[in-house]
Amino acid sequence: MSERHLLTGNHAASYGAMLSRAEVISAYPITPQTTIVELLSELVASGKLDAKFITVESEHSAMAACIGAAAAGARTYTATAGQGLALMHEMLHWAVGARLPVVLTNVSRAMAPGWSIWSEQTDILSQRDVGWMMLFAGSVQEAQDFVIWSYRAAEQVYMPAMVSMDAFILSHTSEPLLVHDQDRVDAYLPKFRPLYDLDPSEPRAYGGLVNRDHYFEIRHKMYEAMERAGSVLAEAGAEFGEVLGHHYGPVEAYHMDDADYVVVTAGAMSSNVRAAVNALRDRGVKVGMLRIIVFRPFPFAEVQTQLAGRKKIAVLDRNMSPGHSGIFAAEVRSALSAQGVLPDVFGYVLGIGGRDIRVETVFDVVDDLLTRDRPERALYVGVKGLPIGPARTDGEVHPIEPLPAEVTP
Amino acid sequence: MPDLTHVDGYPEIPVSLLPSRGMLQTGDWRNLRPVLHPRPSPCTAACPALVPIPRYLHLLAEDRIEEAHAVFTLRNPFPAITGRVCPHDCEAACSRATRDGAVSIRVLERHLGDRAADLPHPLPQERSGRHIAVVGSGPAGLSAAYYLRREGHAVTVFERRDRPGGVLRYGIPDYRLPCDVVDREIERLADMGIGFSTGVSLGEDVTLEDLTTDHDAVFVATGAWRERPMGVPGDDLLTPGLAYLDAVNRGEAGLPGAHCAVVGGGNTAMDVARVLRRLGADVTVLYRRTATEMPAIAEEVERAAADGVRFEFLTQPVAVAAAGGRVDVTIEQMRLGEPDESGRRRPEPTGECGNVVFDAVFTAIGETADLSPFPAELIGDDGWLTAGPSGETGDERVYVGGDLITGPATVVEAIAAGRRAAAAIHARLEGATTPAWAESLAEEALGVAEVNPAYFPRRIRLEDPPSAAVAPLAEETATVSPVTALAEIERCYSCGFCNECGTCFVFCPDSAISWDDGPVFDYEVCKGCGICTAECPGHVIIEVKEQL
Amino acid sequence: MKWSIPITEGMHPGNLGCQACGGALSMRLALKGFGPDTIAVIPACCWSIIDGPWPVHALQIPVFHTAFETAAVVATGIKAAKAYQEKDVTVVAWAGDGGTFDIGLQALSGAAERNEDIVYVCYDNEAYMNTGIQRSSSTPIGAWTTTTPDERPELRPKKDIMGIMAAHAIPYAATACPAYPEDMLRKVRRAKETTGGMRFLHVLSVCPPGWKMSSERAIEAMRMAVRSRVFPLYEVVDGEDTTITYMPEEPVPPEAYFEMQGRFRPLLDDPDQLDQVKALIDKKWRSLVARHEATHGSPVAAD
Repeated sequence: MSERHLLTGNHAASYGAMLSRAEVISAYPITPQTTIVELLSELVASGKLDAKFITVESEHSAMAACIGAAAAGARTYTATAGQGLALMHEMLHWAVGARLPVVLTNVSRAMAPGWSIWSEQTDILSQRDVGWMMLFAGSVQEAQDFVIWSYRAAEQVYMPAMVSMDAFILSHTSEPLLVHDQDRVDAYLPKFRPLYDLDPSEPRAYGGLVNRDHYFEIRHKMYEAMERAGSVLAEAGAEFGEVLGHHYGPVEAYHMDDADYVVVTAGAMSSNVRAAVNALRDRGVKVGMLRIIVFRPFPFAEVQTQLAGRKKIAVLDRNMSPGHSGIFAAEVRSALSAQGVLPDVFGYVLGIGGRDIRVETVFDVVDDLLTRDRPERALYVGVKGLPIGPARTDGEVHPIEPLPAEVTP
Repeated sequence: MPDLTHVDGYPEIPVSLLPSRGMLQTGDWRNLRPVLHPRPSPCTAACPALVPIPRYLHLLAEDRIEEAHAVFTLRNPFPAITGRVCPHDCEAACSRATRDGAVSIRVLERHLGDRAADLPHPLPQERSGRHIAVVGSGPAGLSAAYYLRREGHAVTVFERRDRPGGVLRYGIPDYRLPCDVVDREIERLADMGIGFSTGVSLGEDVTLEDLTTDHDAVFVATGAWRERPMGVPGDDLLTPGLAYLDAVNRGEAGLPGAHCAVVGGGNTAMDVARVLRRLGADVTVLYRRTATEMPAIAEEVERAAADGVRFEFLTQPVAVAAAGGRVDVTIEQMRLGEPDESGRRRPEPTGECGNVVFDAVFTAIGETADLSPFPAELIGDDGWLTAGPSGETGDERVYVGGDLITGPATVVEAIAAGRRAAAAIHARLEGATTPAWAESLAEEALGVAEVNPAYFPRRIRLEDPPSAAVAPLAEETATVSPVTALAEIERCYSCGFCNECGTCFVFCPDSAISWDDGPVFDYEVCKGCGICTAECPGHVIIEVKEQL
Repeated sequence: MKWSIPITEGMHPGNLGCQACGGALSMRLALKGFGPDTIAVIPACCWSIIDGPWPVHALQIPVFHTAFETAAVVATGIKAAKAYQEKDVTVVAWAGDGGTFDIGLQALSGAAERNEDIVYVCYDNEAYMNTGIQRSSSTPIGAWTTTTPDERPELRPKKDIMGIMAAHAIPYAATACPAYPEDMLRKVRRAKETTGGMRFLHVLSVCPPGWKMSSERAIEAMRMAVRSRVFPLYEVVDGEDTTITYMPEEPVPPEAYFEMQGRFRPLLDDPDQLDQVKALIDKKWRSLVARHEATHGSPVAAD
């Protein structure tokens, strides 16, 4: 029986892994992911989840253990955040090249130094070139559902998938959700049929030396799989609606029918954008929200269709690729330029290091969007002492002042 | 193999499609190719009979007695005999000798001889129509008879005494070589169809000319039985040692008295001394040089000393007188001077003399051959028969060998001489093919430095175990058990001969040597690293330059 | 055959190891002990190449190639999956010294501390040979490598990996050497059969190009390592009980081992350091003997 519960995003993710019948779980603790694995270890210990639980000694090893287990035919799950995901980077590549459908929940947080455990998308977006499917959850329900949805698609195209959840805003916030019925999930997500299985009956080598004559072709098969992943995700998302009652797609279009102005967003801040859009519509502003749910493979068709013909586009980035722009903005621009029609895209960088994004912040962004003539690559929102605007280029690096005499011993 | 000219032929991941076998031709890397190249071992090369020792030891270790015996008897028909009396030059040359003791080849040879005692000798398939006379049934004559008979020739052995065996029966004492062992060997020869005509003396009952007329060839090996007299006053009071042994072997002599002396330092002297000692006498050996120059087999000297025989070196009897039924010997002290023609330092009198009285004094100072049956033209200026390396004489029908030519030597040298003469006789009469037993060593023997002893832990060598018999002249040693023999054979490095130890197989890093009761080299993958060559204990694998 | 070594091969003829490669021989011998019900994990090391380029495979067991530092933990993951599937198979991590002593040490320690049900074999050629002979923490004092050239010699002793493994109190750890194949095979079998946690084998693996010596003396070099007590053969059970499994009956001085190899030229040219090295070898040997005697309660001939 499916049941309504009040859970944090983290615990919802744990239930997602449990309902997906993960068989080998390997994780290393890092704030704010810890409660995901704590609950999973309780579920395993109590027997509610029949799985092997490996408490590894680093995130790099967590991914390596999942890769080993997946290569040996097991459905694997892990979770991490920030530094941990960065440490996994080398092995994230390995999961892709080995075509292992590992599923990972990343509680997206800012990168050190300084230490920050608060919400930011830079960590996960830094991995966008590796080849993992990437989904951005915007609610506790989605924190659970996207894990299940990911397995379904990943195990069809044999590509790994990661689900982003905002640090603390989702991970530690309780919302009501529907915890699905196990039988229904089993109907949606059949037993894992591995592409291959390490077994002495098949004495083969996996992943060894490949010279220039062969590497491209083997990689190309992976590129083609990733090209198919978009439609696989779309079909699987539709079927999620049929079997489990929630339909998911690569994007969510809100008040987009007649929107002249669009705010492109992803993740938990979308709920504030939604509230702002409602208020702005009441004031007569024809604004809509385009929420990106599947970031990889990038939903070119949906983005192009939804944004074509609009007057102005604001893209919200809770991340920054220094020397370039917010990453969602860059990706949206490149999707649109491929089509040849380029509505004005304004990139807004905000919420860095967990800086709060409120409904008022969205109002400020839309105000700027409506009043600013020319689009800017990256407009920083909420930097103390600066209005919304691009980075200054006339500054200098200030030396660090020595401590005042009263302070030094 | 899928089609790799199109991306659709590729797998989704870099998963292997083929085993490396046949796909990685690393044999192309090679400059040097390992090959099996057997060579004579140092022990074989040192053996006067050229017995292929590592080869027969390997067969013996695998309990393949018939094959071991067949390999051995290609060179020496009598392992049970030489396994008891041979001075084993092979052991002196053994690669292991300077490390922890030579392999006890003689003990193993005796073991083989005794285990094979009931195996029949090969019966010739056809009659060649030739008839060869062998004169003398000592080891040289018996050996020649055996090899000639193998080739289908009719062979008659003429023997002066009433029983065959020569020095084997009438010279060497029973405690070293029991008569029943000799009887057994004679019987096996008779079962081959060799005829024995005893009581026939060359020169008295039959002449050389008679024999050459009635036979296609004659091999004379009548030995050296004429004992040298001392040539000092009163030497008629001295007892010739060989004649004494002869009488003892016939059961017609015993202990002559409680205190005896033996003059001489050779094998006959040791035999006499030990017989006397075993019969209960107090025995002193008088030798004019020192222990270093003694020509006797070292083992026999050691055993004599262990028996309690006393040695007085640098002593020479110079006069003998009767002393009331006993013998009073004047003994002069000698000293060593410059080497003589034998290469040993010449004994020189010092002038100091003393007298000792013994119950009996025996002489064993050398034997010579009786050349009277031979025509003068066959005798050289030096007074010896002129003979080629295989016993050829001036008369092409007549061959000679053994002590008759060399003077007192060893049983194995006589056996080798008999075989060489048989080979020469057979070649002259038949000529077409050379039988396997007639071949000689193909190439130079392996050197001690070339072997690899790494896989042989130190272990003390085997000695003859004592026999349980108590009678004074009963055989003093026993034959070792198969288990003991096997343990000793494991000490053999198998120089120059592949005994299938498997060391090359174990250490090949490339699986380039497979094992089929011996190494099989896969030259498609062998990289020529040289490990098998370096690790082969017997240096049987060598590297040859690869043809480019 | 006088050796009790199985005839069946687990390794095909045809691999890309250098001539007289100790790693190739170690694998060949080890597979005879592990048998076909084995899965191997190979991180970046010489064996990544020796196995042959895609699409060929030199071994008769499945091999999962993985990143440099991950051998122990990928093996852990594979074993977890097989345990979940209730399939009994030996999972072996097969790594070089770099992937064990240095970059792989974290994963190794993690797996050992968790006492994972895997076998870990380190075949140790005492430097990063696959990348062209750079020093690792397993490079012995005085050995030349490209990063410890004559002007900047190796001053640090070889890291005591067996001590580290003993400190984790795993059920079984042992040193082995392909020049003593029967001892090595016995240890491989014991590692395979031991249950209750992790097993570790430290195998000395000659590298003629890296050790700067002629290929045909490869086995002899490893033999000298053992006979000179530079590389003793012993076992440690549960981190405590120590057994020396081979007492060199005709021991040789360490120089006999060093002089065979061009890489020890800096050491041989520095008599003071050579004396220190020899003193250290002696000290470690005596300590090993003491531990053996403490375990077995009986003295051994230490000289």
